[in-house]
Amino acid sequence: MDFDPSANRVVATARIPGGAAPKKAPVPVKIIVAGGFGVGKTTTVGAISEISPLTTEAEMTSESVGIDNPGQATMKTTTTIAMDFGVLTIDQTLKLYIFGTPGQTRFAFMWDDLVKGALGALVVVDTNRIDDCYPAVDYFERAGLPFVVGVNTFNGQMGYSLDEVRWALAVRDDVPVISYDARFRASVRDALLVVLDQALDKAIKMKS
Amino acid sequence: MTYPDPAAEPVPPARPGVRPFLQSGPKHATGGYTPTGEQPPVEQGQSNTLRPFVITAGRTDGGDPDIGMETQVSVVPGAPPSRFSPETRAIVALLEEHPISVAEISARLRLHLGVCQILVGDLRAAGQVDIQGLENDTPDPDTIMRVIRGLRSIS
Repeated sequence: MDFDPSANRVVATARIPGGAAPKKAPVPVKIIVAGGFGVGKTTTVGAISEISPLTTEAEMTSESVGIDNPGQATMKTTTTIAMDFGVLTIDQTLKLYIFGTPGQTRFAFMWDDLVKGALGALVVVDTNRIDDCYPAVDYFERAGLPFVVGVNTFNGQMGYSLDEVRWALAVRDDVPVISYDARFRASVRDALLVVLDQALDKAIKMKS
Repeated sequence: MTYPDPAAEPVPPARPGVRPFLQSGPKHATGGYTPTGEQPPVEQGQSNTLRPFVITAGRTDGGDPDIGMETQVSVVPGAPPSRFSPETRAIVALLEEHPISVAEISARLRLHLGVCQILVGDLRAAGQVDIQGLENDTPDPDTIMRVIRGLRSIS
């Protein structure tokens, strides 16, 4: 067999300058979009993302009620959840990830992974099923993650006023309750800007 | 008396509320009941509760804690080829064009997120890839400002 090393080398050298691989990877940041099933999380992610939303499957471990009793053989259940996410390139060195996560489940260990280092969260609410978002609100409050309640006005109308939603959720006064339309990019952008505003407030407070 | 003799009563099997740490030692408690099932006394091995991942050679955790779902993965240019599983090689092939996140790897290859985290950890340990995670655990105001400006500029 004839083996021609020179031909090989040409291929090799041609590839390295061609690929952008040696470039430094951008720094990622993330925002969480949480809420119950079918409230428009994926629509929200898809509206702002520059790629069509991707789905990743993650194993989630949740523990049942015996959680406060460490000695007890706690019932650990493992479920696979699907998580949608999108990407938005801010600039060459910064990339925003928007993760849409199912929020019905309590004690979801994966959430800890998810919120670690997150800028903030948008809790999507459907006024027909407000209680679906309780676990998410609860979790973010405990985790100390800045969040905003976003009422998705699917059909351009809401069943309840924002004040009523705020009352139902009993969130702190400094948590914004806004309405937005998950189908429109500008509307989702504005909702995320409110989240970032909260994040900035917290970050500045933490720094000083 | 119709009550059974209390002395003859066997040790109640599931009473974990009562000082369970006494039962989990190397010397298993009375009555031959093992409260933790077949769980080994060593804490790391929780393999009996989770389905083993064939791809990760049975590992279900112990991945690199630096590797989150948003962590950017890029190939190390000129890294020597080494032998990896097809899945791991597929990851490297995906990164040829530009760095992507662990979540994107997971989505594109239809591999579990946890599996990807472990495989990327292997690649990193082998010097095949570089990772770029979040800057800090608590976001930095300047970074947030950049995201705000970036978002405002889209329409």
